[in-house]
Amino acid sequence: MQERKDASFSYKFPDGDRRLAFSRQPSFRQWEPHLSSPSPSSSTNPLMHRSHSFKPYLARSDSTVSVPFLEKSEKKDSTWIVLMLAAVRGVANGSRPMKRLALMISLNVAYSMIELLIGLFTGRVGLVSDAFHLTFGCGILTFSLFAMGVSRRKPDETYTYGYKRLEVLSAFTNSLFLLFLSFSLAVEALHAFMQDESEHKHYLIVSAVTNLLVNLLGVWFFRSYARVNIVYWKPEDMNYHSVCLHVLADSIRSAGLILASWLLTLGVENAEVLCLGIVSVTVFMLVLPLFKATGSILLQIAPSNIHPSAFNKCSRQIAALEEVFEVQARFWELVPGYCIGSVSVQVKNGVNEERILQHVNGLYNDLGIQDLTVQIDYR
Amino acid sequence: MQMERKNSPASASPSQVINIDIDPDADPPTSPPITNPSPTGDSKACRGGTCDLSYTKDSHERYASMRKLIIAVVLCVIFMTVEVIGGIKANSLAILTDAAHLLSDVAAFMISLFSLWAAGWEATPRQSYGFFRIEILGALVSIQMIWLLAGILVYEAIVRLIHDNGEVKGFLMFAVSAFGLVVNIVMAVLLGHDHGHGHGHGHGHEHGHGHSHEHRHSHGHEHGHGHGHEHRHGHGHEHGHSHSDEHGHTHGHEHEHGHGHDHDHGQGHDANTVTTYFHHNHHHDKDVKEPLIKNGNKKSKRNINVHSAYLHVLGDSIQSIGVMIGGAIIWYKPEWKILDLICTLIFSVIVLFTTIKMLRNILEVLMESTPREIDATQLEKGLCTMDGVVAVHELHIWAITVGKVLLACHVTIAPDADADVILDQVIGYIKRDFNISHVTIQIERQ
Repeated sequence: MQERKDASFSYKFPDGDRRLAFSRQPSFRQWEPHLSSPSPSSSTNPLMHRSHSFKPYLARSDSTVSVPFLEKSEKKDSTWIVLMLAAVRGVANGSRPMKRLALMISLNVAYSMIELLIGLFTGRVGLVSDAFHLTFGCGILTFSLFAMGVSRRKPDETYTYGYKRLEVLSAFTNSLFLLFLSFSLAVEALHAFMQDESEHKHYLIVSAVTNLLVNLLGVWFFRSYARVNIVYWKPEDMNYHSVCLHVLADSIRSAGLILASWLLTLGVENAEVLCLGIVSVTVFMLVLPLFKATGSILLQIAPSNIHPSAFNKCSRQIAALEEVFEVQARFWELVPGYCIGSVSVQVKNGVNEERILQHVNGLYNDLGIQDLTVQIDYR
Repeated sequence: MQMERKNSPASASPSQVINIDIDPDADPPTSPPITNPSPTGDSKACRGGTCDLSYTKDSHERYASMRKLIIAVVLCVIFMTVEVIGGIKANSLAILTDAAHLLSDVAAFMISLFSLWAAGWEATPRQSYGFFRIEILGALVSIQMIWLLAGILVYEAIVRLIHDNGEVKGFLMFAVSAFGLVVNIVMAVLLGHDHGHGHGHGHGHEHGHGHSHEHRHSHGHEHGHGHGHEHRHGHGHEHGHSHSDEHGHTHGHEHEHGHGHDHDHGQGHDANTVTTYFHHNHHHDKDVKEPLIKNGNKKSKRNINVHSAYLHVLGDSIQSIGVMIGGAIIWYKPEWKILDLICTLIFSVIVLFTTIKMLRNILEVLMESTPREIDATQLEKGLCTMDGVVAVHELHIWAITVGKVLLACHVTIAPDADADVILDQVIGYIKRDFNISHVTIQIERQ
């Protein structure tokens, strides 16, 4: 399992190597990929760079506050506008997944516009509702794209940890949307069950097929993430995973609609209810792990890839030092793969803090936690 | 994770005596059980890691908010059943759709209730910072639902436009949405007002009815402690008059109000109360002149979840008005259908604007960014000017939820300085001037 060396690590999973996603790699290697990934962009995010050599404290000597501003002004609004423009520029010279996502979004937008117009002019409600649904989905995907573009910015004064969290946020939003989708499909199934009106399915076939094709294209783009349970090594993983699940869920829904109308022509009763119900349950099960994972990062739950017993062991090892009275440690994940901790150690008066700092840092560095703040209280 | 040391006044500057920090040892017996029992009671670190991260002081406020929400839910359910029965009897889709909207209201309230309840859970080793983030996530989910519902309403308007075969009765639309509007206004009043059913809070804020203004306060401050908080007012509403909040704490940071408050330590907000609004003639008399000091200067602040439920109800009432106007138009002149759609679109956009401020707050918290009310540059400068301190780096300030701020930084000191004294000074300075009480400082020697 140790063959996962730096060289093979690009921003995409190597296609054939499925071992990686299912195994729990020892996390002390976690930070290496950040070093060597071609991290396709100009930004050399200082957050994600760690030197190989052992350094007891964080090596940065600049205050984060003194990083020169990238934006012209402080105000929030113009910052976001500047960010949007930067994102547009960023897509043009962005990473491959970004370009693919942008392509997909534009396809979807074009398609939904056409559908909306046709639906409006011919008065078919089904097309309009489908168009709306697509538009919502496109909006969410655009937010994902935006997150991909923005997250490469360097940390600045207000965002001292950088913008990588945005990817996790967009993954969370995506999974939330998919949960809503599954609920609405369930409601639709209920609706069809009670009302028994199925005539509007016929002319939706064309739109469903087109939808399916577009979404399958998207699934193909992100095919290495087409899995339910993925171990996340990098923040972009979550985002790509969420996008993939999004298009996957959409294609499942279209496939379900096609199947339902086919079954109806075969004369199977309640086909619609059945298909919609199955699709709803499937989407729900697909999305739940992603939702939990992103939610736990946003909730600042202790990192899941480090076993709690490892934390306990470290605490005990620190407390085992004779001059230490008490240890308290809190950890949270900024993005998958980057852990931050606050440790508070109570020691006897007059003890040299260097030694303790080195000890604590060494212990946690072995676990892969680089960003630590250790407070030493003297009693 | 740091509490004010009991023996610190000796080393602290005189201005610290104003601080009304209350030591956790002096807590009422409702202290939470501690997860890491410490060998002695006198320590700088929080016991059990929960000190200020626990909600002992705030549980009162939380229960108040939860009570309000529960009442709102019950009311909603009652109205919903009324509408459903009426809709089935009259066999009208419009009424049933409105009942579905009320159902979505109930869902939003449930989310808020759950967030409020979950935020009070004790911190676990896995969730070492407590569960306060759940509030933020719950608010995010609520707001997403608002957006979703706005989209659904626009979709319905388009459907109405397409199905122009007279099955849409303008009068029925008007009546149903008027009823919905009344219901929503009742709930907005309920959620917006701090009726203080004998809570003994010293709040005296008042709101106008309807949607003429809003102000949001952060919840979750322990009133005995000096915590950071933020006040943000209004979304798109005029807030020339919107609040008489009270602050009982010393603040070293700026608030983002457009209105002056005087921050006296706990006396009267008499100066503030004169800014109450005569034009809205409801008046929460009782609490305004109450002696606030006795309650430890509790702030009247809106919990973010109650506020998001309020926003939901507000959005619904705005949309009800839009639907009413549309229904009136269709009733009056059925051929002006397009106006209905335009109206709905406009009102949906208005609703979305009301949510933007809150969304921005949520985003800032979730991105672990420096909260707005804290001036990081000033803090760093202040730290650097302390004697013994050579440099400050790795300064991170972030908020767990809207009111609770944490700080972590590395301070490099001169090789001969006394680490303990400097640590005390730094922590004291940060607590005093910026009201951040969860501080982790790593002292390094040059």
